[in-house]
Amino acid sequence: MPAIEIEELSKDFLTGFWRPRPYRALDRLTLSVDEGEVFGFLGPNGAGKSTTLKLLMQLLYPTSGSARILGRPVGDLAVKQRIGFLPENPYFYDHLTAEELLTYFARLFGLRGAEVAARVGRVLDDVGLGAERRLRLRQYSKGMIQRVGLAQALLNEPDVVFLDEPMSGLDPLGRRHVRQLMLRLRDRGATVFFSSHILSDAESLCSRVGILAQGRLVASGRLSEILAFELRGWDVVVAHLSDELRARLAAHARTITALSHGRYTIELPPEASPEAFLRELADGGAQVVSLNPLRETLEDYFVQSVGAATARETGL
Amino acid sequence: MRTIALVAGAVFKESVRDRVPYSMVAFAVLLIAASYLISQLTAGQDLKIIKDLGLAAISWFGLLIAIFIGIGLVSKEVERRSVFALLSKPLTRGQFILGKYAGLVFTLVVNLSAMTVAFAVVLAYMDAVALPEVRAGWPAPALDPRLLTGVLLTVAELMIVTALALFFSTFSSPLLSALLTFGLWVAGHFNQDLRNFEAVLDVPVMVWLARGLYYLLPNLAPFNVRAEVAHGVDVPTGDVLLTLAYAAVYIAVLLVASIAVFRRRDFK
Amino acid sequence: MTALENPAPPTAARPSVARLLAVLPLLLAAAVGLQVVRDRDRRPFEPPAGMLWFRSGEAVSRMALGYEAILADIYWMRAVVYYGGQRLMTTAPPNYDLLYSLLDLVTTLDPRFNIAYRFGAIFLAEAYPSGPGRPDQAIALLERGIERTGRWEYMHDIGFVYYWWLRDYPKAAEWFQRASEVSGSPAWLQPLAATTLAAGGDRRTSRQIWERMLTDSDTAWLKSNAEFRLMQLDAMDVLDRLNALAQRYADREGRVAQSWQTLGPALGLRGVPVDPTGVPFVINPTTGRISLGSESRLLPLPDEPPPPPALPARPVP
Repeated sequence: MPAIEIEELSKDFLTGFWRPRPYRALDRLTLSVDEGEVFGFLGPNGAGKSTTLKLLMQLLYPTSGSARILGRPVGDLAVKQRIGFLPENPYFYDHLTAEELLTYFARLFGLRGAEVAARVGRVLDDVGLGAERRLRLRQYSKGMIQRVGLAQALLNEPDVVFLDEPMSGLDPLGRRHVRQLMLRLRDRGATVFFSSHILSDAESLCSRVGILAQGRLVASGRLSEILAFELRGWDVVVAHLSDELRARLAAHARTITALSHGRYTIELPPEASPEAFLRELADGGAQVVSLNPLRETLEDYFVQSVGAATARETGL
Repeated sequence: MRTIALVAGAVFKESVRDRVPYSMVAFAVLLIAASYLISQLTAGQDLKIIKDLGLAAISWFGLLIAIFIGIGLVSKEVERRSVFALLSKPLTRGQFILGKYAGLVFTLVVNLSAMTVAFAVVLAYMDAVALPEVRAGWPAPALDPRLLTGVLLTVAELMIVTALALFFSTFSSPLLSALLTFGLWVAGHFNQDLRNFEAVLDVPVMVWLARGLYYLLPNLAPFNVRAEVAHGVDVPTGDVLLTLAYAAVYIAVLLVASIAVFRRRDFK
Repeated sequence: MTALENPAPPTAARPSVARLLAVLPLLLAAAVGLQVVRDRDRRPFEPPAGMLWFRSGEAVSRMALGYEAILADIYWMRAVVYYGGQRLMTTAPPNYDLLYSLLDLVTTLDPRFNIAYRFGAIFLAEAYPSGPGRPDQAIALLERGIERTGRWEYMHDIGFVYYWWLRDYPKAAEWFQRASEVSGSPAWLQPLAATTLAAGGDRRTSRQIWERMLTDSDTAWLKSNAEFRLMQLDAMDVLDRLNALAQRYADREGRVAQSWQTLGPALGLRGVPVDPTGVPFVINPTTGRISLGSESRLLPLPDEPPPPPALPARPVP
């Protein structure tokens, strides 16, 4: 059974005060996520990612279409018992402490007695909140609030977790932490559905992605299928390149760009043999700093898809 | 039921730590304490003015607290989106509204109790320092239990105001909710005049409108027995019970309406 | 270079505000000084009569939004201060125009404000210049009080106004009688009605009224007012006796006594007799009449009407 099923889900908002007109924020979204998958829901700002998540949490009601989580319609109380949700830019209460907030939520999940304190403590440890957990939430930085948000999403050891921009507001250390958390969730067998506009995160975490642009799903599928991982070329960074050698290499290099301090970056076409090139460099007295294959990234794919979608919209 | 109690507990914890209601309570207490000094200006009416001022302060500051916490804790929550995480937990929107209301009322009662205690202290002091011949001239004792009836009806009135504030904040911004709630409170005190309009107006449509408004708008004048209890006049128990029953029903109407609105709305 | 142009060289520490703080008291002193100078030369504008924005008790009641009782208290305080202020006024003749409006406001906002009605009864009716001299306003106020509360005290007070200020004894007796018919009213009202009818204006009757006011009142100023009136009556009693004695002396000696040096020893008095407030009585050298000393607080004494023509005896119920 798919963990999440979305069918022809659409949402119109009425905009304008005097003559309200419908603005289609989400247009017939259809997708499904299997149990145990990590699904990356990607797209530029304003694409409708948050709208989709809110529809799944029944914070919004759809104009048409339907969605099911774990086989039950969204909003079902039994399902809410088994899912977790981290909203975008979360805000909680000013005057409660993180501990108090999580205790409150834990009790709402039906936990009782000593189990409450144990679970709350563990979850706070997992997200890396130490003694700060006893401070009032109004004193927290954005990063700390984000951690609290994650904590409350994971409090009930959910089977399906919905995360809206989980990395937002975190420093690189925090990001790594969250990434590890998400991988642990996957290892546990939970389904993770997260939205982001940071593609590098998706690349390292997801098994499947969906790309949303202007309310429409413009692409979706396994990452391995989308990115052919074809070689596009090579990128070599060299130092101590003599002018004479440079002129000679210009023949079979695609581009040669100067960096600082006498370093150059040379781009080779895919058919070139890197081994032969390196030998040529060594003979010429140059020093190889780095050698990297150039493959299509998610970013390229993203820009392509979104660009195409925008082109369709605006008729360019 | 348990869920509602949990929400109420969290609401109470959050609002009781907010500093603004504390300032209101502090102001009220100061005013009540100051009433002792003011009483010197009244040519022998000192007990009366202390009772009047105490009851008025409890009522007025209670009103400000009711409006403030009523709108602050739903409008603000919706505006700042703390409601998103909460509504993804296993509770219905109806339980959320009822739990909110219970928590707000409890906060209100705690604040009003603090003010009432200060009031009782000042009255006890008056009683202790008064000369026997002055005390003989009082129409009612200083610590008159009838005063509690006045406070009780004020609490009931403010519970209606809190329900109003809650209702408005299910669909409008904090500022608008505050203005609407205050406006209806004012209207609630003018309500008696709508009855007299009927005698003055000729046009039947206007009469129907006036009568309709009279029954629709909350009628808050019966909750004001401050003048009676300050003079030591008994308020019939039957009247009090009838007024409290009206309050209960009107509050139920507002809560049902709040749940209905809240259940259907989108949170953008 | 001034302090403004040459601030201390920049450091990492928090900037000092010592110089600013030093300037503050100087500026405040300047403000206060200017105010003193301004006040010396100009009087704040005081309208000829006092200002009362709201004359209608009904209007204020409507706007009170449930706070009528406390507003009544505030207007009461204003009434007391207003009356006292006018009473003590030395620069201009007192103006009591607002007193009625204020008391009307108080009693409309709080119909049970007992003391306001009684204050009106005593002080509204009091003759000019020590009072407003408006017994009609006092009666109007009390009549509204009766309408709202039916208390016997207000009926008694109307009777009192008729008796003392309007000298209308039949009307006074009528009101005392009405008061006596209210259940719970004291027993002395009935005989008071009868006495008033029979011997209104008689000093004994008046004394009774004031003695009742003295014993029955719970309010300090009502009591002291009654005391004051009784002292006046006492003074009048003493004066009558003294004048009678002085007349006997004059008849005997064939001339009036011109001073206490003459009359005193003749009457067997040690020293100059004084009134209940301790001010010596004076003898008019020309007429020989004894009266209150001019500084006596008891002036002006209430005038007494001529005794009524003999009425046919009324059966006492």
